[in-house]
Amino acid sequence: MNCSNDLIEAYMDGELDPASKAAVEEHLSTCQACLEAHARFRKQSASIRAAAPYYPAPAHLQQSVREALRRTAVNERPAAVRNTPWRWVAIAATVLLAISVSWNVRRPQTQAGETDLIAQNVLSDHIRSMIGTHLLDVPSTDQHTVKPWFNGKLDFSPDVKDFASQGFPLIGGRLDYLTGRTVAALVYRRRQHVINLFTWPSDSTPVDESHFSRNGYNAVHWTYRSMTCWAVSDIGMNELEQFKDLYEK
Amino acid sequence: MIKCDALAQNGKDEHSAANGIRRSYNRDDAPRSKLPVMSESEINPDSRLRLFEELIIPHLDAAHNLARWLTRNEQDACDVVQEAYLRAFRFFDGYKGGNGKYWLLEIVRNTCFTWLRRERRSLHVVPFDEQAHCSVPEANQEDALVDASDLTVLRKCIDTLPEAFREVVVMRELEEMSYRQIAEVSSLPIGTVMSRLSRARKRLEECASGRIVESDK
Repeated sequence: MNCSNDLIEAYMDGELDPASKAAVEEHLSTCQACLEAHARFRKQSASIRAAAPYYPAPAHLQQSVREALRRTAVNERPAAVRNTPWRWVAIAATVLLAISVSWNVRRPQTQAGETDLIAQNVLSDHIRSMIGTHLLDVPSTDQHTVKPWFNGKLDFSPDVKDFASQGFPLIGGRLDYLTGRTVAALVYRRRQHVINLFTWPSDSTPVDESHFSRNGYNAVHWTYRSMTCWAVSDIGMNELEQFKDLYEK
Repeated sequence: MIKCDALAQNGKDEHSAANGIRRSYNRDDAPRSKLPVMSESEINPDSRLRLFEELIIPHLDAAHNLARWLTRNEQDACDVVQEAYLRAFRFFDGYKGGNGKYWLLEIVRNTCFTWLRRERRSLHVVPFDEQAHCSVPEANQEDALVDASDLTVLRKCIDTLPEAFREVVVMRELEEMSYRQIAEVSSLPIGTVMSRLSRARKRLEECASGRIVESDK
């Protein structure tokens, strides 16, 4: 073995496998320079531990962290939030704001303009679902749990499928509010990314597939068995396409 | 003054003597072991908070220690830790089991660096200044004369290490984390962790001996 400070440090840090450890020990028994280096590293390590204080959290920090967490958790308790009329006021205000903003910016509504508007709302909705903690009303990877959950909450029954074996596992669903109606949001995961699939009965003629991108988020829009579908995520458009193809199968 | 070879960013940083480094780790060590993945009931907000408190609050000291060493200021450390905990709670669904300490420290570290960047921007300070970061702070020379104990000097040397080096020293020597755990927390390859640690030790050695010689004059 040659002299190597890296190995001596790794030895001191207890990071070597048994064979390398034995080799270093054998080398240290014959090499004075390395033996001294080893002693120096050990002494330094001990000095660092003696010189550098460990700063445990002060008591007030633990208290303030716990309080902040409670406040956050209370805000996200779905039942409490959903039962207050304020939630509907907030939704209405958001929708009105979105409409009025796009009204001012936008030319008279054409079909394309309308789809654009929905795209904006769908993208915002996806982002809101990620910021808040209201991603799932029914957390389940089982399509036979998620689908019946929507019974009685919607005037349609969404097509719920799981694509776990293809790398897009279903993680649940929730109710959402888009384009003036309640819609189903099915939530899937792709690696660490979340995909929201919004779906509701289509009230116009089937549209061709269209794509939207904003701030790193992508959306695909298509019609499937007379249902309007919007898939939104921060994964690449090609993967979103793949997801759409799976859903249509 | 200690000479500063352009740190971290250069290719040499990737160099490692990774041969012979342990590949297998026991269960406690493994940063991303497949321990309990959250079940459905645990996603309920109340039990989610309970589970979070149970798994993540115990690591408050480690979180504070790292933040304190990175921000070098008590008030800032507390602010950063609080922000990091709220962030961790928000991302708790992404926690896949394993040792919560390293999962949390990764978030604390990122929060620290975001905070430090913000702070520097508001102070109009150039992000990395070799002189400022690598030389021994001159203003403290008098202190060194008065209180020239080796440990005080070494402590000041650690405080003036560039963050990239300071964090590995703190994680290794104070938290007693393995190379693998440090690599996980700082999202760096193991070889980079090793070479940063090695260079940090070299700098500390040079710094400490430089200061002691200086104060002996």
